[in-house]
Amino acid sequence: MAFAPMGPEASFFEVLDQHRASLLAALRRGGGEPAGRGTRLASSSEVLGSIESVIQGIITSVARNEAPAFTIDNRSSWENIKFEDSVGLQMASHCTTRKIKSDSLKSVKKFALILKILSMIYKLVQSNTYATKRDIYYTDSQLFGNQTVVDNIINDISCMLKMPRISLHILSTSKGLIAGNLRYLEEDGTRVHCTCGSTAVAVPSNIQGIRNLITDAKFLLIVEKDATFQRLLDDSFCNRMSPCIMVTGKGVPDLNTRLLVKKLWDTFHIPVFALVDADPHGIEIMCIYKYGSLAMSFEAHNLTVPAIRWLGLLPSDIKRLNIPRDTLIPLTKQDQMKLESVLKRPYVTCQPFWRKEMEIMADSKLKAEIQALTFLSSDYLSRVYLPNKLKFGGWI
Amino acid sequence: MEGSAVAVCEILKYLIIHWKCETAGTSKGALLEGQLVISMEALNSKHQENTLHCVTTIASAGSIYGGLVLKKFLKEIQSLLPGFSAKLNWTSEEASYSQDISGVTPFQMIFEVDEKPRTLMTDSLVIKNFLHKIVMVHPKIKFNFSVKVNGVLSVEVFGTKNEPTLNLSNGIALVISCRHYVSKPKFATAELLCSRIHPVLGHPVMLFIPDDMVGMGLLGELTLTPAAALCPCPEVFPNQLNRISSVSIFLYGPSGLPLILPGQEQPTTTVFKDTSYFIDWKKYHLCMVPSLDLNLDRGVHTLLTTHLSAILMESHSAVQDSIQVAMDQALEQHHQATKDLQKFQASLSVAVNSIMSIVTGSTSNSFRKICLQALQAVDTQEFGTKLHKSFHDITRHRSLPYCSCETKQQLLPEENAEENTEDVQENSLELLAGTSGQVENKRLQQGLEETRAFLSARGPSQSEAAACRTKPTAASLTPSGSRASPGGDLEDSLWQREVSNLSEWLNPGPEP
Repeated sequence: MAFAPMGPEASFFEVLDQHRASLLAALRRGGGEPAGRGTRLASSSEVLGSIESVIQGIITSVARNEAPAFTIDNRSSWENIKFEDSVGLQMASHCTTRKIKSDSLKSVKKFALILKILSMIYKLVQSNTYATKRDIYYTDSQLFGNQTVVDNIINDISCMLKMPRISLHILSTSKGLIAGNLRYLEEDGTRVHCTCGSTAVAVPSNIQGIRNLITDAKFLLIVEKDATFQRLLDDSFCNRMSPCIMVTGKGVPDLNTRLLVKKLWDTFHIPVFALVDADPHGIEIMCIYKYGSLAMSFEAHNLTVPAIRWLGLLPSDIKRLNIPRDTLIPLTKQDQMKLESVLKRPYVTCQPFWRKEMEIMADSKLKAEIQALTFLSSDYLSRVYLPNKLKFGGWI
Repeated sequence: MEGSAVAVCEILKYLIIHWKCETAGTSKGALLEGQLVISMEALNSKHQENTLHCVTTIASAGSIYGGLVLKKFLKEIQSLLPGFSAKLNWTSEEASYSQDISGVTPFQMIFEVDEKPRTLMTDSLVIKNFLHKIVMVHPKIKFNFSVKVNGVLSVEVFGTKNEPTLNLSNGIALVISCRHYVSKPKFATAELLCSRIHPVLGHPVMLFIPDDMVGMGLLGELTLTPAAALCPCPEVFPNQLNRISSVSIFLYGPSGLPLILPGQEQPTTTVFKDTSYFIDWKKYHLCMVPSLDLNLDRGVHTLLTTHLSAILMESHSAVQDSIQVAMDQALEQHHQATKDLQKFQASLSVAVNSIMSIVTGSTSNSFRKICLQALQAVDTQEFGTKLHKSFHDITRHRSLPYCSCETKQQLLPEENAEENTEDVQENSLELLAGTSGQVENKRLQQGLEETRAFLSARGPSQSEAAACRTKPTAASLTPSGSRASPGGDLEDSLWQREVSNLSEWLNPGPEP
């Protein structure tokens, strides 16, 4: 099946092709993708056996008249995080742990909730059914209290058993969208054909299950905001820049969107670019795709794409393009704190150009949304800014 | 109350007030210190059947500050004991007719009465009760109390040697060792984890004296200071559900003497019959069933005791606020501990059910077998029961939250105690309130300074009136009118409480 014939000439993608070649060369030099550490897909019997092993440990403690406890890695502690530029943020091999005791008033409830969710996972795996995190919360919302409690415990269990969430038969609801030059089969056999038109496809909830991915895309564009994504769809960006793929996580990306980006990179090794607002929040979101998050560092190998490049909106673009000052927004105190925090992160040291851009932002104390470009012209983003960036290698 | 007990109590009160007056000028705030010996020796009367001739001696073992003027003493005591027929004999040589107020004066007084054996027994119990209440606020006063009936001797010492106290002002200190407030603990081992009560003091409340009482001679400033405490300390049984089973109210007057309240038949005793007049019990989901004997210690202390109810009603709002604050603080920890324990038990229930769900749902024979064998269960039902019990047993000895109480050997339950996953420990609530101030009457015009003391009227004991019970407990006390009858409820309840200390009574000598 032929794809839509629209798109620039082949020479347009010269720089992109060179970039891709350098990425592939870097991969070869690095010995290919690092072997997956941390979590890995597990079979049902492995999951059940793992849970039974945990229960056995608890009962053995009880039989010895000792109060049982869970030992959980401190996932969200920077001291347990190490940075590798080929992987991003990942958990250190010897990380600190904390005990969730059954004989302490402070932790007995969490101890009980971990067991509760373990028992629910056990039933899901046994019956080969799936549930979302939200479903789990609603089985007993009064007991759990709030969704965040459930989310954290599920991540703790995933980290403790060293199994990805999908192996535990827990799905996360996807909020991301895909558009462009991509086809694949979902686990249940459904054919998905992403289009270049004005509609987008929802990111599937079972990324590990998709297969037969096919694309001719020259690049993958990650768009921070849904508004920008929709704008590009409306402007037929995917057709104009065909062949390409666009993805948005609608802000901070959920796990499935990140898994999809990772899968596309692992499968096709095409250049991946991020289009985010020129503000600390946008930069942080881009870093999540590229280097991972603190909370999910135990699954970094399945989620991060260190090859991502920052395409725009760069703080230096603001001055270069003479974007009107009155379209710019002063950094708030929270913005400044976040910017300082990002600047201190371990991965910034190996990104001098990113650091420089963030320093420009810090010095000017101003931020800009992508929508600021519409003050130059309504379709400046899709007709001028992005095509020029892609053609002339305007990424860092 | 009968004659001997009244006389002994009034004499002791007089002595203590005298001490307070004498020491007030020299060492303000110092605790009264001294030792008194009270002995009652009874022999079968040669003149009356079933009657004992009882000789009561009150003597000071050491020195008493200042001098007592005999004439004045005897006159005042007689005026306080209008119905007392026995003659009071002062046997101290040095103090006879002496006006000296600077030297030390040994003191000995004797009187003789004829009374029935049952009456003597009651009198001794009443005196013991009175002595007990005095040493609670005068920890440095020691009483040696002995009763000898037809040659059979029983001795008891009332004192608080080296016990922890809470110092208040003007020579009053509250003993905080809980043995003074509870009978022997339910659990059998060596020592309690915390042997103290932790009184919470309310802010002092100035009481207004109604105009009609001023005319009767009750003048001056009167301040009420409440204190509330749970007994035993809730830290003793942190892993159990505690409930408040009774409230004891102690009232002390100036000089730290237990206040003796008027008879129940008088209408002005409302505030003491119904504690909810001052305390909002519903706030704590409690309801109080009054079971108060106002005539336990009948007698006259001062005009204050006669009119105390009216005085307190006059300042109802302020007194209520002060007492409520003390109560709130005293019960706060108890409530929090109860909530924490419920949370704990709810969580463990979830944990056990989750484990059971996995074990019973597993298709792995080896896994199920290992689990059952670990707890030595024959089937999953027994496994569940044992799992629940094991979790309960393990976690009941969990680390205790920080406790500022003294820590001693951890308490273990009796081995033959009935298994009960909701062992409920009963606490009693101790409420003490003290008045202080310059209240003028004949006795106190000697120059009594403002003191802080506590009003005391013995309330129901821990085994008595229960919160939210629909009928009174068996040990409720009866009004004074029925006390005269031998074998009445009052004597029985007193006897039950004191029998461990007066076991000799069970096997007296020759029949009285």
